[in-house]
Amino acid sequence: MQVNRIAAPLKLLTIAFKTGRVTKKYPFGPPLITEAFRGAISIDPAKCWGCGACVLVCPPNALDIIFEKEKIVIEYFKGRCIFCGMCADTCPANAITVTKEFELAATNLEDLKEDVVHRVSKCAVCGKPFAPAAELRDVMKMHPITEEYANICPDCRRKRTARAFGMRFGASI
Amino acid sequence: MKLEEKLKSVRRSPWVFHLNSGSCNACDIEILDALTPYFDAERFGVKLVVSPRHADVVLFTGPVTREVLPKVIRALRAVPRPRVVAAIGSCAVGGGIWWDTYSTIGGFPKLQEILKRYGVEIDRVVYIPGCPARPEAIVYGLLVALGYVKQKVSKVVKTVES
Repeated sequence: MQVNRIAAPLKLLTIAFKTGRVTKKYPFGPPLITEAFRGAISIDPAKCWGCGACVLVCPPNALDIIFEKEKIVIEYFKGRCIFCGMCADTCPANAITVTKEFELAATNLEDLKEDVVHRVSKCAVCGKPFAPAAELRDVMKMHPITEEYANICPDCRRKRTARAFGMRFGASI
Repeated sequence: MKLEEKLKSVRRSPWVFHLNSGSCNACDIEILDALTPYFDAERFGVKLVVSPRHADVVLFTGPVTREVLPKVIRALRAVPRPRVVAAIGSCAVGGGIWWDTYSTIGGFPKLQEILKRYGVEIDRVVYIPGCPARPEAIVYGLLVALGYVKQKVSKVVKTVES
C-alpha cells in the first residue's frame, strides 16, 4: 500500500513530463486561431451599394441603416455582433468580408462602431433624394438601362409611364 | 490621473469575480478556459475569487435579465473601489440577440444608467465583444483594462465615393 502511495504521484509526474508545456504564449506569441474562425466583419466602401440587405438579415441588429436627408449611413456595431457571417453570405455586391480580428476590447462603446456613409442621388425631375448613388451606378453597369430612366424616382417614373399610356390611347394630358 | 494611480496597485495581481447575469453559459465556459493552464491568465496574477468583496475586476456576462437585476446591483455595490468591470460577450456589451426583448435590460451600458441612479459608480469598463468571446480576447481585454496594452479598435467612418 505504501509503495502505491508513493508511486501514484510519480505516475502523474511522468505524464506531466511527457505532455510538456501546453500554455499558449498568447499576448507574446501567436493566438490559437483556426481556419474556420469568424471575427469582426469589414465593409469595403468601394463595393458597398447601401442596399441594406445585410441589415435585414442581421439577427441581433448589429448592422443598422439610417436614412438622413442627403446621406444614407450603414452603422456596424461590433459590440452587438454575434459574428455569424450571414451578412457576408447575403451581400449582393460581395462588399462584406469576415476577418479574423478578435482583439476588439475597448474602454469606450463609441470605439466599437463603424459607419459607412453613402451619398444619396436626387431625382432628375422633382429633385427628391431617393436612392444611394453607388447602387444606381452599379445597377446601370449591370443592366442596360439608360441613365435618363434610372435617375428618376419611382413616383416620377410612375407618372411618366401613365402619361405615355394616356397619350397612346388618345387622352389629352 | 488618480484612477491610474489606484489601478497601479491592482495591476500586479487582479482578483476577478465572475458575475453571471443570465448568460447562456458560453462566455462562462470561455472564462474558465482563460483561467485553465492552456491560456493561463494566472500568468498575470489573475485569480478567481468567490466573493465580490475580494474582487478587483468583475467579469460580467449576460444581458441582465429582470429577475437578476437587483442581485447584480447588490453584488456590484459590494465591490471595493476602484471598481473595474469587464463586460464579456455581445450580450453584456450591447444586448446581443436579446437587444429588444421585454425580459432583459439590454447589456451593461443600460445597466450602468440604472447603477448611476442607485449611486454605484463604475471606475472603468472594458467591453470585450465576441459570441462567445475567445479566451485570448478575454486575456487581451483584461490587459487593456489594467493598462498593460493599448486598445486596437477605434471609431471608423468610411465614405463611399460615387
